[in-house]
Formats: sequence, C-alpha cells, structure tokens
Amino acid sequence: MSEEREERRPRPRGGRRPRRKVCSFCVDKIAYIDYKDVNRLRRFINERGKILPCRMTGNCAKHQRQLSEAIKRARAIALLPYTAE
Amino acid sequence: MSRYELTYIIDTTLEETARKELIEKVSALIAANGGEVEKVDETWGKRRLAYAIDHKNEGYYVLVTMNAPGEAISELERNLRINDSILRYLTVKLVEKQSKVKPKPVRQAPAEAAPAAETAPEAPAEAEPAGETAPEAPAQAE
Repeated sequence: MSEEREERRPRPRGGRRPRRKVCSFCVDKIAYIDYKDVNRLRRFINERGKILPCRMTGNCAKHQRQLSEAIKRARAIALLPYTAE
Repeated sequence: MSRYELTYIIDTTLEETARKELIEKVSALIAANGGEVEKVDETWGKRRLAYAIDHKNEGYYVLVTMNAPGEAISELERNLRINDSILRYLTVKLVEKQSKVKPKPVRQAPAEAAPAAETAPEAPAEAEPAGETAPEAPAQAE
C-alpha cells in the first residue's frame, strides 16, 4: 500500500528543467553594491517598488543581502520609491 | 577617523547663492567637528525625487566624501536635521570592500611559473663548470 503511494507521488522527471540562474553581481565581480547605482538597483525591484526575491533574480545570498541594504538606502534618500502604483 | 559618505538633498526653491552658502556651511561644519572634507560632488544636481518629500518633486543632490571621527557624525546630522532647506540626508560609513577581495591567481601564471621553476634549480648546478653560458648548452654537451 505504502509503496504504491510512493510511486504515485509526482516526480520531476523528463520535463523541462528551468535554466540555472547565476548571480549577476558575481558575474560582474562587484564587491560592494552602491546605493547610488540606481540603474542597476532598479532591475531588482518590481513595478510596485518591492525588492525581488533571489529565487527570481538568481542572486547569491551574499549579494542579495548587500542588495537589499543598498535598495533600502536608496529609498531613504529618494532615489528609489518605497511604493509605486 | 573613518571615511564617510554623506548625501543630502537641498530644497530647489533655494536660490543658487543661498544653496552654495549652505554647501559651504555643511563643509565648514564637518571641518569644525574635526573632520576633513575629501570631495564635494554636485554632479547629480537637480534631480527628480522618487517620491514627494514635503510636496516637492525635485531636489538638489549633494554628495560629500569625508574623513571624520564618529562623534562628528551625530553632531553633523543634528545640524542637518535643524535646517529646513535640507529635505533628506544619509550618512554611510565607507567600507573598503575592495581590499577584502582575495587576489585570484591568473590562469596563465602557473603555466609560466612551471618552466621557470624547472630551469632555476638546473642553472646553479650546471653553472659551476659552464659559468655564464646558457643552461641549455651544457645539457646538450652531456
């Protein structure tokens, strides 16, 4: 019984695997994410001004942490919006 | 003393002369508190704000890089807060991240280093009889 159930569970087999995303900051070898670099930061917020999760952008944890800090600084000094409709 | 970066936004309704005076005043304030101004950058100048501050959609951005003791920052920020013409300010301590980056070996380096290392021990051993001649020449003679 239990074995059958195991069999029925959906498995990732065959199907299209999503392309592996790489951290764009690692690729560009950026050691420090600057809050003044608005054009770069803008790519990591959605149209509402929210910070995109790393599972969508492919950022590594180290750079995602730096990025969120940089975006928050940019918001404080009105370079990026807190919210946008 | 550490390096700091101060960004502040000046109200655009302030005339140019008054604005210049204000920038001078801030720089003087840093100096008065034992700091030294490294650079005052106004390349951004008048810029659209991402959101309205006090119903204003524009601001004049000034960037200051400085070397200052930590106590000077709180005094500086207190003064910036008092001034009504300064809409926003942000002080960030600059961390020299670049120095933390470990130097990675260049891919070509080991290929070049290997033959150099081989020739080096050979040279003194065979240099005794051959003297100044190239390390390859005695090898051929033997």
